[in-house]
Amino acid sequence: MPSSHDWINKPLGVVEAMFAQSNSNPEWEAKVLEYFKGQLKEKESHSWVPSLNDVPLHYLKPNSLVKFRCLVQDMFDPEFYMGVYETVDPSTKANVLRCGKYKDVTECGVDLNSRNTVTAERQTFYCVPIPGESPWAKESYGCSSQARVVPSTSYVPSRQKRSYEEDDDMDTQPQKQREPHTEPHGNGDSKRQETEAPSSQTTAPSDCSSHLDLNFPLPGERGPACLVKVYEGLDSFKLNDTLEIYGILSVNPVLTVLGEEKDPSLLLLNPTESMETPEEQRAHDPPASLVPRLHMLYARPLQHNNPLLPSAPTEDQSAFVSSFLVEMASVRAELLAYLTHVLLGDGLAAEYLLLHLISNVYTRRDVLPLGKFTLNLSGCPLNSYTERLYQIVQQLVPCSYRLSMSLHTMNSMRLVPKKDYVANRLVSGALQLARNTSLFLDETQLEQGQLDSSGVRNITALGNLISWQKVDYDFSYHQMEFPCNINVLVTSEGRSLLPSDCQVPLQPQVTPPNMEEYLTTIHMAQFTSQINKFRVYLSLARTLDYSISDEVTKAVEDDFVDMRKDDPQSVTAEDLHRMLVVARLLSLSLGQTTLSRDGWMRAKHIDMLRRSRTEQQKSLNGNEP
Amino acid sequence: MDLVQPTQENAGQMVKDELAEKCQKLFQAFLEEYQTADGEVKYVRDAEELIRPERNTLLVSFTDLEGFNQELATTIQEEFYRVYPFLCRAVRNFARDHGNVPVNKEFYLAIQDLPTRHKIRELSSLRIGSLVRFSAQVVRTHPVHPELVSGTFLCLDCQGVCPDVPQQFKYAPPTVCRNPVCSNRARFHLDTHRSKFIDFQKVRIQETQAELPRGSIPRSLEVILRAEAVETAQAGDRCDITGSLIVVPDVSQLSTAGVRAETSSRVGGRQGYENEGLRGLKALGVRELSYRLAFLACHVAPTNPRFGGKELRDEDQTAESIKSQMSVQEWEKVFEMSQDKNLYHNLGTSLFPTIHGNDEVKRGILLMLFGGVPKTTMEGTSLRGDVNVCIVGDPSTAKSQFLKHVEEFSPRAVYTSGKASSAAGLTAAVVRDEESHEFVIEAGALMLADNGVCCIDEFDKMETRDQVAIHEAMEQQTISITKAGVKATLNARTSILAAANPVGGRYDRSKSLKQNVNLSAPIMSRFDLFFILVDDCNEVTDYAIARRIVDLHSRIENSVDRLYSLDEIRRYLLFARQFKPKISGESEEFIVEQYKRLRQRDGSGGVATSAWRITVRQLESMIRLSEGMARMHCCDEVQPKHVKEAFRLLNKSIIRVETPDINLDQDQNQEMEDNGQVNGHTHGVTGQTNGVNAHADSSSKPSLRLTFPEYRRISNLLVLHLRRVEEEEEELKKSAVINWYLKEMESEIDSEEELINRKSLIEKVLHRLVHYDHILIELSQGGLKGSETETQEEKTFNYINLSGMRSHLHQVGVHTIDMNEYSQTSHLLFCSGLLLCNHPGICVFPLSVVF
Repeated sequence: MPSSHDWINKPLGVVEAMFAQSNSNPEWEAKVLEYFKGQLKEKESHSWVPSLNDVPLHYLKPNSLVKFRCLVQDMFDPEFYMGVYETVDPSTKANVLRCGKYKDVTECGVDLNSRNTVTAERQTFYCVPIPGESPWAKESYGCSSQARVVPSTSYVPSRQKRSYEEDDDMDTQPQKQREPHTEPHGNGDSKRQETEAPSSQTTAPSDCSSHLDLNFPLPGERGPACLVKVYEGLDSFKLNDTLEIYGILSVNPVLTVLGEEKDPSLLLLNPTESMETPEEQRAHDPPASLVPRLHMLYARPLQHNNPLLPSAPTEDQSAFVSSFLVEMASVRAELLAYLTHVLLGDGLAAEYLLLHLISNVYTRRDVLPLGKFTLNLSGCPLNSYTERLYQIVQQLVPCSYRLSMSLHTMNSMRLVPKKDYVANRLVSGALQLARNTSLFLDETQLEQGQLDSSGVRNITALGNLISWQKVDYDFSYHQMEFPCNINVLVTSEGRSLLPSDCQVPLQPQVTPPNMEEYLTTIHMAQFTSQINKFRVYLSLARTLDYSISDEVTKAVEDDFVDMRKDDPQSVTAEDLHRMLVVARLLSLSLGQTTLSRDGWMRAKHIDMLRRSRTEQQKSLNGNEP
Repeated sequence: MDLVQPTQENAGQMVKDELAEKCQKLFQAFLEEYQTADGEVKYVRDAEELIRPERNTLLVSFTDLEGFNQELATTIQEEFYRVYPFLCRAVRNFARDHGNVPVNKEFYLAIQDLPTRHKIRELSSLRIGSLVRFSAQVVRTHPVHPELVSGTFLCLDCQGVCPDVPQQFKYAPPTVCRNPVCSNRARFHLDTHRSKFIDFQKVRIQETQAELPRGSIPRSLEVILRAEAVETAQAGDRCDITGSLIVVPDVSQLSTAGVRAETSSRVGGRQGYENEGLRGLKALGVRELSYRLAFLACHVAPTNPRFGGKELRDEDQTAESIKSQMSVQEWEKVFEMSQDKNLYHNLGTSLFPTIHGNDEVKRGILLMLFGGVPKTTMEGTSLRGDVNVCIVGDPSTAKSQFLKHVEEFSPRAVYTSGKASSAAGLTAAVVRDEESHEFVIEAGALMLADNGVCCIDEFDKMETRDQVAIHEAMEQQTISITKAGVKATLNARTSILAAANPVGGRYDRSKSLKQNVNLSAPIMSRFDLFFILVDDCNEVTDYAIARRIVDLHSRIENSVDRLYSLDEIRRYLLFARQFKPKISGESEEFIVEQYKRLRQRDGSGGVATSAWRITVRQLESMIRLSEGMARMHCCDEVQPKHVKEAFRLLNKSIIRVETPDINLDQDQNQEMEDNGQVNGHTHGVTGQTNGVNAHADSSSKPSLRLTFPEYRRISNLLVLHLRRVEEEEEELKKSAVINWYLKEMESEIDSEEELINRKSLIEKVLHRLVHYDHILIELSQGGLKGSETETQEEKTFNYINLSGMRSHLHQVGVHTIDMNEYSQTSHLLFCSGLLLCNHPGICVFPLSVVF
């Protein structure tokens, strides 16, 4: 690697050099940020930075620049540190000013009585990898990285702090990273699917909690959690933000030793000595080998988590968008055909599924979230059809999670994050998800029986999530609302017990004798390039702007009034609401950024088809409304 | 214990802190001299109290201090941590002067009424050491234990005694034995009998919801409580905490005030703290870089509601005390709001900006939030002041939105669905519908919040046993629980805002409210207000709804416009709720009169017209609503205008449930009897009414009925005609109108008898249009219809329609046209703009009328 990459390998050197030049002029801090920002702006430079997500921790050099794609799971209280301190060289007795920023521990021989010490404030965020990130996204990110990791330099086998599981995990990942080129893609996908399926079943939280609960929102998640020390712009970060953080990795084993030095017998005499309880200590200062520290230099909020799309809103992106817009209609047709096959030949349901996949809460009016489009796919065949369906959805979207709504999971699972006041941290729940995550609720797994109190709470939380797009986090003395933006798809046999924006009863046109085989064949028939197009399409359609002209507004209003005139019972305000959402999504799915009259008529048409289908279903069941 | 023990500790003690000593003197002078308005030395009595063994803290008001010596106050505020030990010494001297206290008893100072208040997020390192106050929620308390404040040590080498070694937060034996020949630096024994201890408690507090920026995790802080402040806070409490910010784990340096004085003279006064307590990896000389902050509290008090966020009720508050807690701007805003002539309307629209129309419901909910005055009778029965509201309506008529808005707005609001209501420890069953394969959740019980609003969606779906519980809560304001042989009664002073769906999914106008809602009569009668939202079909509202929704979807940037922010409304509500309006004599008569009217109408109306029998409950409701109305205007007295609005709302909500048939005889009974047997039965009148000839007996009063569409048709015809005539600037007499109508109908009339019937019918329609629906105004020559009761035949009437009304306003004295009411009851006319005048709800002028 060229020497110009010192800023990646030895970022602290850069920082210190700048600090030394500054003569304690506080502007140096801004300069440092400017420098790293500038370096990262250069073309492809960010791909040279190794990522904590796909490179195992022990392959990374301590104190080097790394990046981390993550979700802010918790925010700890601010802490104070010595921004500048003085050390005394024992031999020469010379005083040297040192910089404490971006570091966890001091050098030797700190002069604690120095007048030059400057105290500064920083905050720690607990960050976890983006929950439910699809394997294809992980892999694709890994491939695009050009960081050359030289394991031999930093890998010291004598480090024993890491748990066995971690090792295991770490070892499997680089293989994945190296191998994809040797294998034809379609093959690799299906192979992984088979290995993945059982592992998602073994929702084994015990897996890592035996040693330390890393507090991942979803069970069965893996990857490094990270304590990110944030120095600038504390207020700009919010809980559950997805960020790509560039920072200096710190895994100094001294940290762990420092944490452990404690004499319980002194606690009584020095009550303030330990302001933290042991639980708190464990949650806030886990061993650095398990939860590395990352000193943030630069953070980029992720608008989407799709590696196939240019990430930053640069010129690149707009060029990319405009080139893709041309293809939009044709990709849509292909995707629709694909989804129709998947949904057993039901074109209408496929249309709705497509609209659902590009839906997005684009704004909130007071309590009303706008743009959400929760789909209830009823009449799903039993026997693992939904599981397969989820796998297909998972292949299309960057983040997803399948929640099997069996009585057991509803009663036992923790969906809503809860504040643990003993350990002083936010214990995560399955509904702490990044924006635009696809949540797949499988109601076909439900059976009759008793819901206990936590089950009732969970169902209520799901209902609130669907209706208001927010989750009430449990702070024990009160609840706190956190808005979210999650695409909820409910598959059920009859109409779901959860609310939904629209229900589509599935009407299979084909009844394959072997469902698994049928779906696998469909899946196999798609080329990776094709699937990639779909992935880009879905992420892109969501980001487009949209507006309604005054003329169309008028037309829609007139239309609504006319419809009501004919039959007031048939169309309600809620229907108009939904049809406008459908019209919006329909237009966007075709790459149109304004609503046209045709678009409105189409939306009306498919909504009518869908409604006649639900009516039919109702009368079939003899269930009067 | 630590290698790097501060060596200058002893030296530090030698340093005199002149500023602090000056403070001590001045403070002592303050205690001795400060007098209350009536010339009494304020703190002497308090000091005498300190003799009692359990007391050791003197509470001093900061405002007194400021009034006494501004400079001293400023010094104390800025250098609190530094001068605190000296202030305590002053308290000790003061206490000794005024009472016989043990010599070695320690005294402490607590300061209250600090005017400024900080947010937890503002407590940065800049505030270290100064006196600050903030409010927070206590989330965790640790047990109380003794803390060593002053230790007496025994040197293990020479057996010499080192008395009174000051300790601060940290066990600190003397650095060196006092015996000059003994060089012992490490081996000391603490003599607990001769050492002093203080109660000590750690508490963790958390940022309150009100201060929290959206989307952030609340911050927390460790607070150290000492002496009398110990055990004053429980987890869950909202507290106001006064004290100073300190740094941990480095506090040993602070053990002597002298050293602190020395360090604080340096830049920022902070560096000195960093000396010790960094748990270093000593061998390596490596240290952890970070510290945390803690707060040393000297006084803890329960937070007053304004700052505690959204608390609306507090028994101990008065309007004055609330006012005194507001900042000038806040108070001005409240005052401005109380002067707002359109307050009633503006509050309603500000509370529910995204809901179109439904003004009555908004008003009802508003009055619910203001609430009535709870009372206790002489026998000790308490009468509730909470107003309960139920909204019945077709699906998709924004019921849930109403509930959600209220939940969002009000403190301690619980939002729950009758279908799957949530309650800790209760269960629900999942049952599968065999036919449709749909899963259904059978309800658990619900949670009621004391002193809050309970929003229950799908109230009708709630199980009977829960409805019974609600029943009790609604009237008695308590909830009884019987478990393990113990019967407990819990307070549940809660207003209930319920939403229910009509039985058939849609509201059936041909049935009564009772038949439309699946609720038992006792429960129904406990709601003060019932609102019915019918999904009506008419172009104007449809347009308005369509516009609203399309707007919502098309324009992203413009946000909800509110005249008043939610915080302002909350503040106003809190203020207004402190009023306990009394009913004036005049209003009392008025209430009685209105109640009589209601009762009478109830008696005459039959089942179909009134929702249920009018009982004392409705009288109580009327009083509560009037009180709420008076509260809203910050009045100490309920005035007739308040009663009028309450009556109007009540009338709207319960009695005039959309009746399918127009009963033309309403309230006209006297006249009817005079007129004799004119009550007709024409082909326009439905068969279900009584035939004239067959039922002439007076016991069952025959009534003249008209189906709604028919009534609408006739009135449309009349109004159009009047309008046409009016354009020609002519005035019409009543007889002319009747003649015109009969002429129009000529073709349909076959016999003379029918002609008579028609005539009486049209007269009644006109009467109704004038007196009930207020579409038309009758003018006598002198102006508007006077109060004199002339018989109809003798009067000369001019009919004007509303669009022409404005041109007539100068002729007419008083205009009371409730257009709004009309548009709701008959759906004939719709106002698109309403202007409310001074007396809310009484006079509503339509600005434009659409036919």
